[in-house]
Amino acid sequence: MYGSASTHDLPTSAATGLENEDPILLAEFEARIGRGEKIEPGDWMPALYRKQLTRMIEQHAHSEIIGSLPEGTWITRAPGFRRKMAQMAKVQDEVGHAQLLYSAAETLGKTREQMLIDLINGKSKYSNVFNYPTPTWADSNVISWLIDAGAIVNQLANAKGSYGPYCRALDRICAEEAFHLKYGHDAVVHMATGTPIQRKMMQEALNRWWPAIMTFFGPSDKMSVHTEILMRWKVKMASNDECRNQFLDMYVPKIWEIGLTLPDANLRKNEETGVWEFTEPDWEDFKRVINGDGPCNAERIAVRRAAEENGAWVRRALLTPKTQYVRPLA
Amino acid sequence: MDPKLDLLYRLADDQLILGHRNSEWNGLGPILEEDIAFSSMAQDKLGHSLQLYTLLHQLGETEPDTVAFTRNADQFHCCQLVELPIGEYDFSLTRHFLFDHAELLRFEALAGSSYEPLAQVARKLRGELKYHALHANTWMKRLGTATDEAIERMQRSLDFTLPYALGIFEKTDAEAEIISSGLFVGEDELRGRWLESISKVLSQTALQVPDVLSLTPVFGGREGQHTEFLQPLLDEMAEVFRLDPTADW
Amino acid sequence: MINSHDPRMNRLGLPDAPEAPAAKGALDQFGTYEVFHQKKEGAPFVYVGPVHAPEADVAFLFAKEQYSRRFACTGMWVVPTAAITVTAYVGDQESAYDTLPLLPKSSAPAAGLADDTAAAEAAYAAGEEDYDIFHLKKRGKAHQHVGKVRASSPADALQVAKGVFGELRPVANVWAVRAADFLRSEDEDRDIWTTTPEKKYRDAISYKVQDRIEKFKAENPQSH
Repeated sequence: MYGSASTHDLPTSAATGLENEDPILLAEFEARIGRGEKIEPGDWMPALYRKQLTRMIEQHAHSEIIGSLPEGTWITRAPGFRRKMAQMAKVQDEVGHAQLLYSAAETLGKTREQMLIDLINGKSKYSNVFNYPTPTWADSNVISWLIDAGAIVNQLANAKGSYGPYCRALDRICAEEAFHLKYGHDAVVHMATGTPIQRKMMQEALNRWWPAIMTFFGPSDKMSVHTEILMRWKVKMASNDECRNQFLDMYVPKIWEIGLTLPDANLRKNEETGVWEFTEPDWEDFKRVINGDGPCNAERIAVRRAAEENGAWVRRALLTPKTQYVRPLA
Repeated sequence: MDPKLDLLYRLADDQLILGHRNSEWNGLGPILEEDIAFSSMAQDKLGHSLQLYTLLHQLGETEPDTVAFTRNADQFHCCQLVELPIGEYDFSLTRHFLFDHAELLRFEALAGSSYEPLAQVARKLRGELKYHALHANTWMKRLGTATDEAIERMQRSLDFTLPYALGIFEKTDAEAEIISSGLFVGEDELRGRWLESISKVLSQTALQVPDVLSLTPVFGGREGQHTEFLQPLLDEMAEVFRLDPTADW
Repeated sequence: MINSHDPRMNRLGLPDAPEAPAAKGALDQFGTYEVFHQKKEGAPFVYVGPVHAPEADVAFLFAKEQYSRRFACTGMWVVPTAAITVTAYVGDQESAYDTLPLLPKSSAPAAGLADDTAAAEAAYAAGEEDYDIFHLKKRGKAHQHVGKVRASSPADALQVAKGVFGELRPVANVWAVRAADFLRSEDEDRDIWTTTPEKKYRDAISYKVQDRIEKFKAENPQSH
C-alpha cells in the first residue's frame, strides 16, 4: 500500500549525472523504453534510473511492512469468524507484498537485509499515512478500503512502468489486492449501514483519516529536470494530482452513497473541468510527520526493530555457508 | 455431555484458541517468508474451528460466531497448551510441532469416524495438515541441530511444553462412549501414535527427549479449568464483537 | 514503554527511547531460491519470484505460502538462484539464442532428450545430465518452462536448447538449470493445495455488498 513516487524527495539540484553516461548506451536504453519494452536486471541502465527505482521500490516495500501494522492492531479483535480470518489474510498479504517488493528492489543491487537495516535506523521513508493510529476497528476498515483503493490507483499506474521485476511484483500485488478492496468496502458498508454505534464509529474514523488520505498521493509535483526524466523513463507514471483526482472520482461517490460525510466543506467535483476541488491539505504538518514527528513514527520503527531483534537468533541458527547470497534474478 | 458434542467442542476450541494465538505473530515473525507461512497455518486453524462449530450448529448448538465470541473461559474445552501466550519463537514453534502432530494423527483417525460429517471434514483437511506437519518437522530438525543457542532454546521450550502437550489427551466422561460408538479411537491410542511420531522427528535432532510418560500432564482444560491467560484472550478477541451484540459486523 | 493501540505491541513491551541498534558486521542474510509454480495439471511451470532461505527444504516451505496461498496450484519447484545460467537479454522481437557463441558445424549438438535409450545411457555414463530450459517470451513477463535437454555443462545445455527450442521466437531471455538442482513437489503431495480454492474469505468475489447498499439508499433517500 503505497502512495506515490514522491518527487518531493528528489534531489534539489538539477544535476542528473547523465552527462557521465555513455551516450550510445543511454540512447539504446531510452529507445527501448520508447518502444514500450521493459528493462530487465541484466540490462545496462543509467545510474540515476537504478538509484531512483531502488529508492522507490524500497519505499514501497517499507510501506507494505509498516502498513501491515495499523490493521494488525485489530488482528486479535476482529469481530466474528469472517472478519477475523479476512483480517489475518489481509495483514498477511501486506507482509507478502513487502517480500515481493524487496525482491524486486534487490535485483537492482541492494540486499534485503540492508534495506531492513535502513528502515529500522530511520534512514528510509515509507508511506506517511501509516504514522497515524487506528484507535478503533472502524479505523482499520477505513484503511482496508480507502488506503488500499488509493494504493491500487497508484500501483496500476506503476505496473505500466518500465522495470520488469517491479511490473511482475505489481501484477501479483494488484491481483491480490482485489480482495483487499472488496473486503474493505464490505466492512465499511456494514458499519455505515449498521447500528447507531457502528455508524458513529465509522463516521468518526473517516473524519480522523480523511486529512491523511488527502495527502496519500503527495503534494502537487514540482516539475523539475528530474521529474521529466523519470516520466520519460517510465519510472514515474502519473502525476500526484492525477492519481488523487482519479481516486476522488472513484471513491467519493461511494462514500457518500452510504450516508457518510467527509470533513471538507469545499470538496466537490467541478463538472466542467472534471477536476475535484478541495481544501488544500496541511503540507507543513505532512512534512513534520514524515520527518519523524507523527503520532506513531516511533512505535512503527520500534516494532520493526523488535521483530528484527527477536528473530535474530532464528536467522543466526539457520545461516549456512552452503547457500551464498546472490542477487535474485528477476 | 453427548459424546459428539463433547468431542467437537474440544477439537473446535483447541483450533480456535491456537489459531488466535498464532495469528499474534503476523507482522512480527523472524523472517518475512516465515511470517507468511505461520499466518497461513493460523488461518487454517481458524477455518478448522469454524467447520467444527458449524457441525455443532447442525447438531443444535448456537451459531459459530456466538459460540466463539460470547462464552467465558470456564465454558471452553480447549487444553491449556493452546492458551499460553506466544512467548518467543522457540516456544511457539515447539507448541506448533507438538500440537500439529497430534492434530494430523487425530484427523487421520477421524477420517474413519462413524460420524460421517466429521469424517468428511477430516478427509478434506488431510493435505492442509500435511503441510503443517512438514513445516513443523522442518523447523524442529533445523533448529534442533543448529547453533548451541538454538538447541538450548529448543530444549528449554520442549521441557516446558511437553507436560502441557500431554494435556491434549485429557479424557472426559464421554471417552468410553466415544470409543465404543466408533466416533474416535480415543485419547490413549492417539497419545501412543503421537509419541511415536514426535520421537521419530526428535531423534533426528540434538534434543534430549525425557521419558514423556513419566511426566505429569497438565489437565483441567477439558473440564473448563484454565490458566490465567484464557479469559484475557477471550476478552480481547471479543472486544469489538461485544460492543454491540445486535450488530452485523 | 510505548503505549500502543495494539495489545500485541503492549505485550512486547517496546521501550520509549530504544538504544541505537548495534551495528551489524557482515551481512548475515540467507541465500535466495527462485520459485516456479504450475497453475493446473499439464500447464508449464512458470517463474513466480524468489524466496530467502538457508536450504532448499525451507525454501519450499516458504515458497508454498508466499506464491501459492492465494491462487490454484498443482506443483512447485525451487532452485538456488546461483544454479541458474542466464543468457543475455535481447529485444522483444529477437531471440536470445542468437547471442550464444557460434559452434563449428561438426560439434553442434544434434538433439535434446529424444534419443534412443542406449545412446542416452551412454551419454549419462559419460557425465551428461538433464537440464531444464526456461524462456522469457517478452520482457516484463515471466520465464516459462519449455522442456529438458541433456548436456555436459550449462553452456552446452544452452547450445543444445538452441537446437531443440530455437525455433520458438521471440525469446527475450533463456535460463538453463541442471535438473538435479531443483527441489520439486511430489505428485502424491499435490493435496497440500486442495483446499486453497475453498478459502473464500480471501477471495474478492465472496464480498457482495451491493444489495445492502441499495437497501440503505432506498431507506435513506435524503443522503447523497
